[in-house]
Amino acid sequence: MYEFQLIQSTGFRNHGPQGARDGFELRLRLPNYRGMRLSLLDGIDVTVDGEFFGHEVNSLILHGKTYDLEDMRKATAVSWAMGDFGSVFVPKAGGLAPGIHHLKVAARVRSPYFPPHLQPLPVNGERLATIILP
Amino acid sequence: MAGQFKYGVSLYSFTEDFGSVMGLEEGFDHIADTGATGIEILGATHVTGYPEPPKAWLDRWFDLLDWHRLEPTNMCSWVDTKLRLGCSMTIEEGAAELERDLRLAHRLGFKFLRPKFGVIDQDLTPDPIWAPAVERVLDLAHKLDIVMNPEIHSPTPINHPVVHEYIHFIERTGTKNFALLIDTGIFQDRPLRGWQHELPEGDSEAAKIINGIHVDPEEFLGIAQYVSFIQAKFHYINDDLHDENIPWDKVIPVLKRAGYAGYLSSEYEGAREPWVAIDQVRRQQLLLRQLEQAYDAAPVAA
Repeated sequence: MYEFQLIQSTGFRNHGPQGARDGFELRLRLPNYRGMRLSLLDGIDVTVDGEFFGHEVNSLILHGKTYDLEDMRKATAVSWAMGDFGSVFVPKAGGLAPGIHHLKVAARVRSPYFPPHLQPLPVNGERLATIILP
Repeated sequence: MAGQFKYGVSLYSFTEDFGSVMGLEEGFDHIADTGATGIEILGATHVTGYPEPPKAWLDRWFDLLDWHRLEPTNMCSWVDTKLRLGCSMTIEEGAAELERDLRLAHRLGFKFLRPKFGVIDQDLTPDPIWAPAVERVLDLAHKLDIVMNPEIHSPTPINHPVVHEYIHFIERTGTKNFALLIDTGIFQDRPLRGWQHELPEGDSEAAKIINGIHVDPEEFLGIAQYVSFIQAKFHYINDDLHDENIPWDKVIPVLKRAGYAGYLSSEYEGAREPWVAIDQVRRQQLLLRQLEQAYDAAPVAA
């Protein structure tokens, strides 16, 4: 089961070898009310403690595979189903210090049945979340 | 006298609950306890392993239908014409999306399928592949005994080129497997409260969604013969059992006069928080039943 909010508490952690972190991960629930093919997700913007990381530089880890923006756009046969977690990998040398951080996320979802000027439409989440290990 | 309505509930009503505080079993329980006889779902949301659910899930689905004495009504699907950025979908691909969902809907026991087509402009004109794609699967729909019904949904009113095109298609092909689904959000005549933050500011289409498009319920009479299913969309019913947005006291008598005897499938779409929808749906099921009973007791002449 998901936590209700878009950004999940669990899964917020540093990424890469300890002592040589290359970024951090944060876990999301499906940013849509329906399961969707991954090509309908046009990347995810992340802001941590006021520092912005655009959807062009972040990638998504889904079912153990990592997709950058180009991979996502091509992934017409990959499904992000209801109940699946996805983790955003945000590149940031050294990762984040253990502590409580302010996170903002905009998952850019394309809904083909929306008028063209509303595509993509950001699905937003914002919260405080905790990194435990350096 | 015309027939009675059938009462159903869409699991979509529980969007803010489903997956975090509610699973399929609880959803069935909440729906059945309203006295509804039908359950509506979204294929890609409520079917584990969509579009190929595992056997264990199928067994559970049929057990739950039996236990709660519910029948599958309408399954919602999408034809994602903009699946690839900057690329259109071919007619063959569109037909394949429809075939995928027709087969799943049939497997699960549904009689109606709502395909939502991608659109090409601000007027929400469906991608022109819709007609040839649907035409290619009409025989399959006939064989599987399923009616495909795209929804007429705010901000698209009843009197609109999109609806005229759908009716023209029905007349031209003579099919019984394509019809109209009416989403009662088109009758909304008072603004939604607390939705402003959901939509881009200063957008005229967004303003329509907030304020409602005020379709006169009487217009239903002109298209009733093409209508196969009704999603009873609503947003808030207050503590006095009064709907603050949809004029049910005007809508229900028109549906009765039209002789509509299909489903009213509750579709709650309100506050974006869990634990609100369950009782909102109960309120609507009560309100709709009361209005139907009142009409039957003293029918209003046309």
